[in-house]
Amino acid sequence: MIIDVNAYLGHFAFRRLRHNTAASLLALMDAKKINKAVVSSAGAITYRNAQTGNEDIAHEVRGHSDRLIPFAVINPFYAGWQDDLKICHEELGMKGLRIYPKWHNYQLSSPCCRELVNAATERGMVISIPIRVEDNRQRSWLLNIPDVPLEEIVELVKACPKARFILLNGIGYTGCPLGRKDNGLPSNYTIELSRLSAVLANELGQLITNLGAERVMFGTGMPFNYPDPALVKLEVLDASEADKEKVRSRNAMTWLRL
Amino acid sequence: MTISQTALNSSEHRPHISRRELLKGSAVAVVAVGAAAVPSVYAAIEQPVPDTSNDRLYKGKVIDCHAHLTHRSRATWEADDRKLIEAADKLGIDQLCCSILTPRKPATADGFQECNRWTAEGMRRFPGRVLGYCYVNPGYGREALEEIHRCIEERGFIGIKLYNEYTCTEPVVFPIVELAIEMGVPILHHASHSHYFVEDQPRMSDGGHLAELARRYPEAMLICAHISGGGDWEWTIKALRHAPNVLLDTSGSVTDEGTVEMAATVVGVDRLLFGCDSSMTAGVGKIRGANLNAKDKEKILSGNMMRLFLRRKS
Repeated sequence: MIIDVNAYLGHFAFRRLRHNTAASLLALMDAKKINKAVVSSAGAITYRNAQTGNEDIAHEVRGHSDRLIPFAVINPFYAGWQDDLKICHEELGMKGLRIYPKWHNYQLSSPCCRELVNAATERGMVISIPIRVEDNRQRSWLLNIPDVPLEEIVELVKACPKARFILLNGIGYTGCPLGRKDNGLPSNYTIELSRLSAVLANELGQLITNLGAERVMFGTGMPFNYPDPALVKLEVLDASEADKEKVRSRNAMTWLRL
Repeated sequence: MTISQTALNSSEHRPHISRRELLKGSAVAVVAVGAAAVPSVYAAIEQPVPDTSNDRLYKGKVIDCHAHLTHRSRATWEADDRKLIEAADKLGIDQLCCSILTPRKPATADGFQECNRWTAEGMRRFPGRVLGYCYVNPGYGREALEEIHRCIEERGFIGIKLYNEYTCTEPVVFPIVELAIEMGVPILHHASHSHYFVEDQPRMSDGGHLAELARRYPEAMLICAHISGGGDWEWTIKALRHAPNVLLDTSGSVTDEGTVEMAATVVGVDRLLFGCDSSMTAGVGKIRGANLNAKDKEKILSGNMMRLFLRRKS
C-alpha cells in the first residue's frame, strides 16, 4: 500500500493545475498505484477566508473517504478560525491541518499560532507544514513568499511537544537539528520525502539512518508535482523492505489512525 | 572509433531501474508504440515491440544532456563523481554529458582550461559513460576559441557549455557560436527567467535571449538549460516557441506536473532533451510521469541528442 501525505485539490492562484478534482486525482492515483492521499485545498493557500476552500474540499471528497483524507487549511489570524476548526473536525471529518505561516503572514512563534496548534492537538489532529508551495524562482511578480525556515520549525516542535507535525516539501533537514541523530528534540514530527534527494547526497537515506524509518513519510505534492519523482525515490531507496513499508504507508496509517 | 560512434554505443551496466521503467505509467504510450518505425539514426534504440505491455516498451539508450562532474577543489570530488555514475546506474541513465564549472565566476582562462582537463580525465575514467562539454568564458576571446578547438578536436568533447559570464546576445559570444556552427556541435547555455532581477547573475540569459541568438544564427544548435530549474518555465517555453534551432533541456529540481507536456505541445518533442543537472530522480521522474507516447519519450531520452551528435562536422 502507498499513502501520499502531500496532495491537493482545487485551483492554485498562479498556475493551472491538472488532476485537481477528486475524480481526476483518483485516476492519477490509480495509474500510479497510490492507494490513499491526504488532500487539502490549493485555493485556500491564497483565499483570504480559507474556510471556503475547506468546504470545497469536503464537498469534493464526499463519496471517496476510503481514499481521500481531507485536511483543513486554517489561518489562525483570520476571524472565526476556532469555529472553522471545530466545523472542519467535527462536521467535515478532517483529521488534520495544513498551515501556511509565510503565505498567511504570521509567525510560527506567535501566540495565535500556538493557540491553533494546541487546539488541533487537543482534538488529536495532525498539523502539516508545507515548507514551500512552489519554487521561489518562478514566483509571480505579485509576491515573494519565502520558504519556512527550518529553524522556526525547530522552535515549534520544542515548544509543542504533544503536537504531531508532518513537514512537507522541505529539504536540508540534515543541515539542521531536525535531521540529526540525537538532536534532543521531541519525536513529534515526521518528514515527507518529495523534495529529498535519494541518490548523490541521499538525504532520504541519511534521515532514515539518523531518525529511523518511523520518521519519514511518502508524499508527492501532486497535482502541483508529478508523482513519479517521489515514486522513483522509493524504488531506489536502499533500505529493508520493513523500513520501506513504514515509509510507503505504515507511518501514515499510524499517525492518521487509519 | 569516432566521437559520434562512442556517443551512440551503449555501455555495459545494469541499472536498478530499467529503461522501460522510465516509460512506465504512460497510458498513451501503450496505444502509440506500434505506430511508427524508429528512424535508422537511432541505432542504439531497439525497435519497440508493438502491442505489448508496458514492460516491453523501451529498451533504448538514455542520455542525460546536462550533468556535471565535481570540481576538484572539493575534497570528495572523486567519490562524488563515482556517486554520479552509481546514481546513473540506479536510474537507468547510460550516458551523461558533463561539464565542470569553476566555483568562482567569472571563470578565468586558467580556470576553465583546468576544468576541461578534468572533464577529459573523467571521460577516461568512465569511458562511454561520460561525454564532455567544453566550458569557456567567451570574454577570453582567442583563449576560449583555442580551448574549444582543443576539447572538440583533440579530446573528443561533444559540445560547448556557456554559463552566465555574458548574456548570450552580447557580441563577445558570437565567435563562440560561429565556431560551434563550423564544428557542428551544440551549445548548452545556462538560462533562467524570473520575474525579478537576479542580483547574483546580472548577465543571465533567458529563453528570449536564446531565441534572439537563434534568429541571428539559424544554423546553430542551442540548448536552453534546465527549464525545470530556471524560473518561470511556462514563460521560457513560450519564449522559445518560434526558435526552431533551440532545444529545451528538461533538467532541474522543479517537478511541476505538466511541464514536459506543455513543452512538447508548444515547441514539439523533437526539441526536448532529457536532463537532470544533478537532480536525478526529479529528471527521471518527470519524463516517466509525462503523458507522452513511447516514441516521443525515445526522442527526449536520447534520440534528439543523438541527432545533434550526428551533425558534428569533424
